[in-house]
Amino acid sequence: MRKYIIISLFAGCLIILFFTLTSMVKMFSSHLKEPSASVEMHSSYRLVLITLELDTPFWAKVEEGAKAAAEKYNVSLEVWGTYGTNRDDFLKNIEVAIASKVDGIIVQGLDTDEFKNLTKVKAASRGIPVITVANDVPMNESLRRTYVGSDHLVAGEIIARQLVSDMGFRGKVVLMVSDRQEYSQRSRLAGILNVLSPYEGIVTKIVAAGDSREEVAKATNQLLNDMPDADAFIAVSANHASSIIQEISKRMQVEKFFIYSFDDSPATLSLLQQGKIDALITQSPEAMGEESVSHMVKWLTGEQFPLNPDGYFTDIKVLRAGDTP
Amino acid sequence: MSSIQRKILTMSVIVLFIMATIWVVLTYYNQKTQEQYNDILQRYLHMNEVTEHSHQTIIALNNYLQKPSTVLRDAFNQSKEQIILAKLQSVSLRNQDNAYTLTSYINMIDSLVAAADLSVMFLEEKLPEQSAEKFEEAARIDKYIAETTITLIDKEVRTYDSFYRSIIEQSTELKRLGLLLFSLITIMLLLFTYWFSLSITRPIHKLTIAAKELSRGKFDKPIEVHSNDEISFLALTFDRMRVNINNLIFEIQQKAQLESELQESKLLLKESQLISLQSQINPHFLFNTLDTLSKKAYLDGSEDTSDLIANVAGLLRYNLRRLDRAVTLAEELSVTLKYIEIQSARFTDRLRFLQEIDENCLHIKLPCLTLQPIIENAVIHAVEPLEEGGIISLRIYAKEECVMIEIKDDGTGMSEEKVRHILTESGISDGTGHSTGIGFSNVVKRLRLFVGDEDVIDIESKPDQGTKITLKIPMARSAAKNV
Repeated sequence: MRKYIIISLFAGCLIILFFTLTSMVKMFSSHLKEPSASVEMHSSYRLVLITLELDTPFWAKVEEGAKAAAEKYNVSLEVWGTYGTNRDDFLKNIEVAIASKVDGIIVQGLDTDEFKNLTKVKAASRGIPVITVANDVPMNESLRRTYVGSDHLVAGEIIARQLVSDMGFRGKVVLMVSDRQEYSQRSRLAGILNVLSPYEGIVTKIVAAGDSREEVAKATNQLLNDMPDADAFIAVSANHASSIIQEISKRMQVEKFFIYSFDDSPATLSLLQQGKIDALITQSPEAMGEESVSHMVKWLTGEQFPLNPDGYFTDIKVLRAGDTP
Repeated sequence: MSSIQRKILTMSVIVLFIMATIWVVLTYYNQKTQEQYNDILQRYLHMNEVTEHSHQTIIALNNYLQKPSTVLRDAFNQSKEQIILAKLQSVSLRNQDNAYTLTSYINMIDSLVAAADLSVMFLEEKLPEQSAEKFEEAARIDKYIAETTITLIDKEVRTYDSFYRSIIEQSTELKRLGLLLFSLITIMLLLFTYWFSLSITRPIHKLTIAAKELSRGKFDKPIEVHSNDEISFLALTFDRMRVNINNLIFEIQQKAQLESELQESKLLLKESQLISLQSQINPHFLFNTLDTLSKKAYLDGSEDTSDLIANVAGLLRYNLRRLDRAVTLAEELSVTLKYIEIQSARFTDRLRFLQEIDENCLHIKLPCLTLQPIIENAVIHAVEPLEEGGIISLRIYAKEECVMIEIKDDGTGMSEEKVRHILTESGISDGTGHSTGIGFSNVVKRLRLFVGDEDVIDIESKPDQGTKITLKIPMARSAAKNV
C-alpha cells in the first residue's frame, strides 16, 4: 500500500516536473522584444504625396510608383489623401504637411485660390518644395518647383487628330468639360481646339457639367435635346465618359457616335473593348509617381538644379477600339 | 556537529534555497513586466501631455490677446515652455514605425510655437489683423496636433500589438509556472521528507527489534544496521556488547562443566580411597599370615594350596595400592590372571578361561583395577549361577591407534535397558559381592575420566546369549599421559 502511494507520488512528480520544465523553457526562451526605439533623428528626407482621389485606380498606381521610388532612394514617404473629392480635407492635408515641415510635398494640382495660396505663401515661405503631379497648376501662380505627368496639351491634340481621322473633316463635336475648369482640362481643351479649329467643317461645342453622375447625365440629356445631330463626344474630364455613354444608350445607338475619353479606368477600358468608346488616352501613373519622387529627391540633394519649370512629361498613348490594351 | 543534526540542517537549507531561488526568479519577472507596463503607460501619458499643453498654450495665447497684460503674458510663456518640454520628452517615443509621424508631430509643435510667437509679436507691433491671422493658424495647428496624437496612439497600439499580446501571454504563463512549481515542490518535499525520516527511523526500528531479541535472551543474532549516522555507531557498540555477553556466557558454561567434572572425579576417588582404607585393616598381619600359610602348605606338600594362597596375597596387595595411580595393562593383566587362578580353584571345570593377547599392547596405561572388576563381573553373572559353568574369553588387540580389550562370556546376558543403565552411569555404584569392592559403573566412570572421552566402552548383550564388553583405550592418549 505504502509502496503504491510512493510510486504514484513519484510518477506525479515526474509528470509535473515535465510540465514545469516545458513551461520554464517557454518562459525563459521568449524574450519580450520591444519595438526598437531608434533615438537618432531620421536623416532621410520626409516626403508626402497628397492626392484628392485616393480611391481611383489611377492614383493607386501613382502611389505604387512613388512608394517604389521612395524605397529606392531610401526616403520616407507618406501618402495622404481624401476619398471622394473632399477639397477641404485635401487643403487641410497640405496645411498639416506644411506645419509638419516635411522636406517635400508632391501634390495633385488643384486650380483653386486656396491651393495656390497655400503653395505660394506658406510652403514657399517655409522653403518647402512643391511638385505637382498628374494635374498641373501654372507655375507663376503656385510657385511649384516642377510638374510631373502627362502633357495634357499634347494629349488633347492627339485625341483631336484621332477624331479627325475617324470622322473626317466635317461634323459636330461636343466637348464635355468639368465645371471645375482645372488647368489640365484647360490644356487638353486647348490642345483639341488647336487641332480642330483649322477645319471649317467641324463645329465644336463645349459643355460644362458638374462632377457627379446626375449632373453629367442631366447635361448630356440637355445636350442631346439641343443638338440631336451631334457626331462626336470628347469627355475632356476623365470621369465623364461612362456617364455620357449610359445616357446616350438610353435614347439611341451608341455605336454611331464617335466617343473619346482621357480616362483609362477599367470601366472605360471595357467600354473601349465593347466598341462604345472609339479611342482613349492612357497615361503612365506609375511613372508619374516614380519620377515625381526621384525629381524631388534630386532637387533636395542638389543633384538637379534647377528643375525644369515646364515639367517632366510622362508617356501618353492613344488606345483605339479594337487594339488590345 | 552530529550527523542527524547535519542531515536536518542540510535538508532545511536545500528547501530554503529552492524556495528563495523561485521567489527571486518570480519576483524578478514580475518586476520586469511591471516596468514594461510602466513604460507603455508612460508613452501614452507623454503623448497626452503634448495635446494638453498645446491646448493650454492656445488658451493662454487667447487670453493674452484679449487682454494684453504682463501676468497673462507670463502665463503664456510658461505654457509655451511646458509644451517645449513635452516636445523634448516626446522625442524618446520614436521607433521605426512612427518615426515619420513623430517628426511631423515635433515639427508641428515648433510651428505652433512659431505661430504663437508671431501672433504675440504682431500684437505688440500694433498689427492686430496679422496677429489674429497667426492666432488662427496656431489654433488650427493645435487641432492638427490633437489629431496627430490620436494617429500616433493608433500607430502605437498597432506597433505594440504583438508586444502587448506577448506580455499577456507571459503573465499567464508565469501564473501557470507558479502553480506547477508549487505542486512540484510540494510532492518532492513529501517524497524527500519521507525518505529522509525513513533514513533516521529505520535504523532505530532495527535497533529496537535487536534490543527486544537481546532482552529475550537471544544473543546469537547479529545486529546489522546500515546507516551513516549515530544510530550505526549505537548499533555497532550494541553488537559488540552482544558478542561480549555471548563470550562470557560461553566461558561460564565451560567453567561450570569443568568444575562439575572435577567434583565428580574427586568424589569417585574418595569412594575408592575409603574402600581401600577399609580393606587395609591390619594388612601386614594378613599378608604375613597368608605368607606363613603358603609356606606351611608348601612344606606340607600341598603345592596347589601354597600357590593359591600366594595368589590371594598378591591380589590383596594389588588391591591395597593407591587407586589414583595409573598402571600398565601388563600389571592389570597379571592381577587378573591371579584372580582367574583363584576362581579356577573354586569352580574347577565349571570355569573355562580363554585368552588371546597381543603382547605389543601391554605397555599402555589405564586406571588401576579396570580389567579385574569386569572379569569378576563376568564370573559372578556367567559362571557362578550356572551349574554347568561358562566360558570367559579375554582378547587384547590393537585397532586404529587404539587398544581394544574384549571380555566375552556366554552367560545369561542383560536386557537392553540394563545395558543403557550401565553406559549412562545412572546405576548405583554397586560394589557389594566384588572381591575388590569396586562395581562396574565405577570402572566405567573412572575409565571415561582417564581417557577424557565418552566412547570408551561398548556392551553387546542379549538375554541368554552372553555378553561382550569392549574397552577402547587410545594409545596416543595414554602415551601422552605418560610423559
